[in-house]
Amino acid sequence: MSLHDQDDPALRCAQEERLRAVWAAPKGIFLKWTDCNNDAVGAWYVLTGFVFMLFAGVLGLLMRTQLAVPENDLIGPATFNQLFTLHGSMMMFLFAVPMFEAVSIILLPQLLGARDLPFPRLSAFGYWSFLLGGVFVGGSILFNAAPDGGWFMYPPLTTRTDLSGIGADIWMLGLSFIEVSSIAAAVELIVGVLKCRPPGMRLNLMPLYAWYILVVAVMILFAFPPLIAGDVLFEMERLLNWPFFDATRGGDPLLWQHLFWIFGHPEVYIVFLPSIALFAMLVPTFARRHLLGYPWIVLAAVGTAFLSFGLWVHHMFTTGLPKISLGFFSAASEAVAIPTAVQIFVFIATLWAGRVNWSTPLLYATGSLGVFVIGGLTGVMVAVVPFDWQAHDTYFVVAHLHYVLIGGTLLPLFAGLYYYWPLITGKKLSDRLGRLAFWILFAGVNLCFFPMHLSGLMGMPRRVFTYPEELGLGDLNMASTAGAFLFAAGVAVICLDMCLSPRRPLANRNPWNAGTLEWLAHPQDEHWGIRSIPLIESRYPIWDQPDFMRKVDEGRYFLPDAEEGRRETIVTSVIDARPLAVIRLGTPAWVPMLTAFVLGSVFILTTYHLYGLALIGSVLTLACVVWWLWTGTAEIPEKPSKPIGHGLELPLYISGRSAPGWWAMFITMMADATAFSGLVFGYYFFWTRHETFPPMALADGPGWFWPMVALLAGGVSWLLTLAARSANSRGATGAMALLLTGAMLAALGSGVAGLAGPWLSGLNPEAHSYPAIVWTLTLWTVAHAGLAVIMQAYVLARGLAGRMTARHDADIRNVTLFMHFFVLSVVVTYATIGLFPEVS
Amino acid sequence: MSDPAPRKWQHRLHITLWVLIVPPTAWAAHFLFSYLWAAISCAKTGHFATMPWIFIGGTVLALAVIALAGWVAWHQSRTPGDPPPHKESTRIDRLRFLATATLLLAALSTVGVIFTALPVVFLRECT
Amino acid sequence: MRYAILPACLLATACNTHQSALAPFGVEAGETRTLTLVMALAALGLAAITFALYFRAVRAPEGSLSHTGGMKLVLWMGAIVPTVLLAGLLLYALPAMRPMDSAPGDLEIRVEGEQFWWRVIYDPQDPQGRLVDANEIRIPTGRTVVFTLAAHDVVHSFWIPGLAGKMDMIPGRENRLVVKATKPGRYRGVCAELCGLAHALMAFEVVAVEPVAFDSWLAEHQAGIAAPPKDSRGARLFADQGCGACHAIQGTEHTGQIGPDLTRYAHRKSLGAGTQEPTLANTADFIRAPEDLKPGARMPTYTDLSREEALAIARYLKGRE
Repeated sequence: MSLHDQDDPALRCAQEERLRAVWAAPKGIFLKWTDCNNDAVGAWYVLTGFVFMLFAGVLGLLMRTQLAVPENDLIGPATFNQLFTLHGSMMMFLFAVPMFEAVSIILLPQLLGARDLPFPRLSAFGYWSFLLGGVFVGGSILFNAAPDGGWFMYPPLTTRTDLSGIGADIWMLGLSFIEVSSIAAAVELIVGVLKCRPPGMRLNLMPLYAWYILVVAVMILFAFPPLIAGDVLFEMERLLNWPFFDATRGGDPLLWQHLFWIFGHPEVYIVFLPSIALFAMLVPTFARRHLLGYPWIVLAAVGTAFLSFGLWVHHMFTTGLPKISLGFFSAASEAVAIPTAVQIFVFIATLWAGRVNWSTPLLYATGSLGVFVIGGLTGVMVAVVPFDWQAHDTYFVVAHLHYVLIGGTLLPLFAGLYYYWPLITGKKLSDRLGRLAFWILFAGVNLCFFPMHLSGLMGMPRRVFTYPEELGLGDLNMASTAGAFLFAAGVAVICLDMCLSPRRPLANRNPWNAGTLEWLAHPQDEHWGIRSIPLIESRYPIWDQPDFMRKVDEGRYFLPDAEEGRRETIVTSVIDARPLAVIRLGTPAWVPMLTAFVLGSVFILTTYHLYGLALIGSVLTLACVVWWLWTGTAEIPEKPSKPIGHGLELPLYISGRSAPGWWAMFITMMADATAFSGLVFGYYFFWTRHETFPPMALADGPGWFWPMVALLAGGVSWLLTLAARSANSRGATGAMALLLTGAMLAALGSGVAGLAGPWLSGLNPEAHSYPAIVWTLTLWTVAHAGLAVIMQAYVLARGLAGRMTARHDADIRNVTLFMHFFVLSVVVTYATIGLFPEVS
Repeated sequence: MSDPAPRKWQHRLHITLWVLIVPPTAWAAHFLFSYLWAAISCAKTGHFATMPWIFIGGTVLALAVIALAGWVAWHQSRTPGDPPPHKESTRIDRLRFLATATLLLAALSTVGVIFTALPVVFLRECT
Repeated sequence: MRYAILPACLLATACNTHQSALAPFGVEAGETRTLTLVMALAALGLAAITFALYFRAVRAPEGSLSHTGGMKLVLWMGAIVPTVLLAGLLLYALPAMRPMDSAPGDLEIRVEGEQFWWRVIYDPQDPQGRLVDANEIRIPTGRTVVFTLAAHDVVHSFWIPGLAGKMDMIPGRENRLVVKATKPGRYRGVCAELCGLAHALMAFEVVAVEPVAFDSWLAEHQAGIAAPPKDSRGARLFADQGCGACHAIQGTEHTGQIGPDLTRYAHRKSLGAGTQEPTLANTADFIRAPEDLKPGARMPTYTDLSREEALAIARYLKGRE
């Protein structure tokens, strides 16, 4: 035991100096932006998201001003359509989702007693992508070029280039870019929760916030990719005239609606659950007891996540789909209310059992639950199909969704703001201003949105820039407008409160007397995250484990030092959080920002049809990624293992299933496979839409020969990669090189044969949806063959350069994992395009 | 951090996070199956599916899988130990927590499957 | 049930009864209003119970609820009660989704959404009886009417709040909506799906009349109505300006199908798909600059036409010349 060592204050001081030096933020007006520590990146992220929210809120106010009186001519339809499209898109894509990721980037390492998340540079990359994409999309309205097709961008209005301008491309490409960064953050958060918990924090002790983040990040993984698949089809139609949504050429506008809402409904829960997660942290604090019904919360989170994927058609109840299909989705839409009710009553029961401390954050939580309950109940109403036929696309739905999102996302975030502000800044916000703001907000939200229930049922459709006076909706709308401005005033008070914060004195450490790990943070900012990584024996260690804070502070737990001058954290096992290894974390660098900017340039240049430059951008992106990986990942440590205290010695290198990198690859590929399945869904969707499919004579299809060659070659490439992995683990570098070369050739051959099918048979993708979807599936799979070649070449180079050895084999293990997914998509694609026409 | 290995079979079952999602996955599979069954039949034949036994079979199968997961979870959740909440850092408490959560999910999934099956009782229309 | 819309009317000075789901004149809309009221009252009750429990919880002294008691609260109020209520709602709502029965002889009206107006075709299957009109739909009360809904350009949505729920019009698809009006009168329908710039200005008149009156109207118009005089100034201008390339007027050589049929323009109660009063002055203004009244309208501007010439065309359309 090394406990007695830590009794020496001089030693502790030296350790602290070393930690401080290692975790010091880069200084200088330029260099500080290279920082990748979660407290810096998270703070930028939150601030940027908040600014986007204010911007989108102003757009909302403009709309309410136009609608204040009937037949108003303040804002014309061209601007108005841009206003509501951007208001919705920004609130969803640039505020709600990124805000949850931003807050989690700040909180999660603290909650888990980790020094940082496993891939700090990935967080930085995500942030810079978000900033660039957000400014690109949001700024478009200043040039009168914003998207104007509604936040769900229904084709053909948005795909016909004579009916919609560059705004549609800005929406598709700009937001696709942001979706990439959202998925990057999801990967980071999942791996963080699963692999970076402190020793002893088994699944049953995980803070509920972490449970929610895990669930939500997994939802992002399955929800965003279908939208990316839709985006791909959408831009193919706009830029290349491939008719996926053009009914005159065998396309169907409903395909987009399906893909959009498979994303769009889980999205609602993706932005709602993290806010409930904030409640799950602050309710126990202010009830001064453990949360009652911990497994129930896990049930609710997991149950909601699943059910939320069975709701998408309830946005399409009026599209004329078969009644029986509507029935299934109506049933699921009602079932999802059950886990939601469970969560609300868990909080009620906890407050009931505890001794309530009626603080400002709890006031916000109470108000938001109230608002949310009303939104939830109207949600059950719109899940009832006959009622939805009336309410759909009216102001009733506007009322419902704002009750849900304000009660379920915005107000809880304000609760979180008041709760966690001391954690971030060391200072408390004002209780007086906070309560004042709350009552203004609460009055504002009800005055603005409650009348909309009525105006909707009284015949006011959504997305109208004006309405006739004879409908008698003037008073209701005037009330809504007044409420909107009232709400804005409440937000202004909160902003004022935050601006006054720097002048206030520092608060005590753990000012709310909370029991969870994040409150170990010092009011004086220390960048190291946590002084020593504790052994966890309770859900509320600060309350339950004696002398906990002191022991952490005196470095009496694990990893209290940074002897080698490296940023490090502990990796543990998924279920029981047994310590497995110490990993070295990424340090400040330009490469994440640079990669984000060159990748962003690809999307932005494509928007303006500058394909040559976009191609250059893609090559630069690839170069940046390779440089990043080569210099920053799978580094072979200078010694095999190091002691972390208490006699534990942990390896400094892990690969395969216990390594964070492997999980990141696995999770990324799950997202990739989901996007791919969106495209496959497109193929079979067109099959159901056409009496004969393929619609032309079979000879016009890609045939079965070339697809089968591509399938075989892809399979060979996979097998050779597997063989190369085992050759590598035997230390046979020569054999590995030979096998990898063969694998590259086979992947290349698979790509060429894949293209040969539709190319040689002269399939014209502009003619009909069938050749278009065949080409799309082929191009997707061929692009993955190209990726496979690049990865295999990279691994080969790593092996030859001595950066990968028999024991240090993370690179080839991760690439093998990629190849598992690759071979799956090869089989599905080529069996679909080559064999399905033969049997159908 | 170390506890004696559990004795009975239901405690020795290899527990991973995947077990937790068996019941909701069964719901999801059943839901997807129901949707495709109806949608494809309506789209390709123009009328409601003529073979209801496929649907009944699928529903019974989904309920059976959920019941099985729930039954195992019920046994696991009755592992002897201190009363709930399962908040100790022990193997047993972790097992009982996961089992309780799985049991609850099994109940929710059962309700979900029954809800999904209800429309077939009342609706037979493609239009 | 009539008094149920009273609270709504208390808030609004003039409560409309011609474009409101709360003032039904059709069977389906009536049933849906009942459903709405039942659900709204239940929702209010549930919200009140939840809030009451919440405040009871906040005020309760520490330890007034044991762990077991708390679990019982969650189990019953969080899980079992909602499950039972939702199951009940589902059993109530699912049968209500069944489409209204229709028989082969029922009146069929095909409505096609265009940017930004409505093409209305009575008896579309019958080559003789086929009657094309625009922006006004006439239906008999007490009889089943089958709407066939389609679109060519973009997605629209057909919504007559007082008659029935809405149904989308999607290019490449045909949707059916079966309705039955119960009360004669003049009502209004609107487009409920964003369809472009003038989406807010895409409405139509619905005229529900007694079956006998409807039959005679249909028979009269199917037989063909008198064509306007051909040699008026307005008629010549109409022809010279090429209006007939897009607009049809029965009994003349103008048979354009791109824009609204103008045969019955004189009978219409609105101009520009429910946007303005169809006065002579408004009609003339619309002819010269449709874009001013309906942004994004497909009709080109005719600013080289003098206002006086435009008035002549308007008089021709209104049949006063």
